[in-house]
Amino acid sequence: MVRRITKFFLSIRTTIWLLWFLMAVLFAGAFIMPAKEEFQAIHSMPLFDWLKEQPISMTWWLWCSIIILAILTINTVFCSIESIIKKRKATQWLLLISPQIIHIGFLFMLLAHLLSSIGGFKGVAVAREGAFLKMPDDDITLNIKAINIDVDQYGYINDWEVNVEYISGQNKILKDRIKPNAPSLKEGFNINVKDLQAFPEKAVLLQVSREPGALWALIGGILFMAGTIILIVLKVKMEK
Amino acid sequence: MLILMLSFAFYLFATWKRHFLYIGLIFQIAYLIMRGFQLERLPLVGPHDTITFFSASVVAFSIPFNVVLKRHQFQGIIAVMGSVFTAFALVSKQHNAPLPPVLRTLWFESHVVLAFLSYALFGIAAVLSVLFLKERDNSFDGLQYRAVLMGYCLFSISMIFGGIWAYLAWGTYWLWTPKELWTTILWLFYSLYLHARLRQWWMGKPMAVLGIVGFVVVLFTYLGVSLLMKSSHSF
Repeated sequence: MVRRITKFFLSIRTTIWLLWFLMAVLFAGAFIMPAKEEFQAIHSMPLFDWLKEQPISMTWWLWCSIIILAILTINTVFCSIESIIKKRKATQWLLLISPQIIHIGFLFMLLAHLLSSIGGFKGVAVAREGAFLKMPDDDITLNIKAINIDVDQYGYINDWEVNVEYISGQNKILKDRIKPNAPSLKEGFNINVKDLQAFPEKAVLLQVSREPGALWALIGGILFMAGTIILIVLKVKMEK
Repeated sequence: MLILMLSFAFYLFATWKRHFLYIGLIFQIAYLIMRGFQLERLPLVGPHDTITFFSASVVAFSIPFNVVLKRHQFQGIIAVMGSVFTAFALVSKQHNAPLPPVLRTLWFESHVVLAFLSYALFGIAAVLSVLFLKERDNSFDGLQYRAVLMGYCLFSISMIFGGIWAYLAWGTYWLWTPKELWTTILWLFYSLYLHARLRQWWMGKPMAVLGIVGFVVVLFTYLGVSLLMKSSHSF
């Protein structure tokens, strides 16, 4: 029995079948998702909390993809270990190791999604200049000091910046500036501006989010990139 | 627009005389450069500019492949592809408005450029698949694998850059939208392609079929989802 299970997880055929199944359930999801209004709230809470509240008839494809990804993770770990053991005496160790770097990158990205799906947070609030907003999980308050919007002659927003100040009790602990693609990062929270209004009075739609998997996703992405680039460079060198 | 029309005409002529393909490409690149100067940014927003860039990428990437292949048929199909996509670009809406500040970043530009370069390589892989099915020549199969491997690498980097940009712009590296799902399906499809090559059963005809199906998924991910479904990537 153990042998059969090991054989199943060590097989590249398993990988291929799992990828087919995963594509099939995501394909179904790509059509179910836009048709159901409930999916508009999917980003408002951690994925697993949202999934628990929704009927299985609507989310079955997400549950299926989680199960398939779990099996694929075991399959990836088994195949990578077997490959390293089998080819450990190979002379070109970089060529041997680069696909495994790609696999590790992939696993880190899956870990990132898992962490964010369990412990992610997202909250939005409309704020005017001078407003105070209470930060989640902390005794810190965020003060919107100034909203500067540069509108061009045709009415398009050319640039903007929002000056904020973090206050703990009576103490101002940090001044920061939120700009396009430059959020304010504070103790694991990402504070960014989702929308702005210049008239009749300046206001912003602020989003406070926490992605516990963000760092892991970045590490995974870097490893994945490094692995694929090394693999291609080595293949090109071999052909020369 | 006249330059783009000329480019379209040269691609059409290239189905008859192959060297017109290069003249068409020069015109198309010139058009993109001029549009870049006119808009004061990379012309990579909206269907008109992206299809033009995609068409130019397909033709440009076909050159090194043709140096190895030296087949008139290959260039002929590329000329047809170039002219079809340029025709689409000609009838597509131009996006001439200034970019919102959130799109003015190197992360966005590299995300889009790499995505379209990878789409172009997947397109070339599909052409090589068609030729393999027709002629059963293994040189097509080998080049098809190289095109997919390069495309997969660029596509993966594009997705990673897109995730970094999304985190900086919207506080999350992943959004549950149809576009993201289709992009994942595409990425999984080519992951499957690369893994399937490790098994003998998939070699030859099945690989070629996968190469063609992959490009259908590319076209739906790019055009179908953007035009038919609401997402952060909508035209």
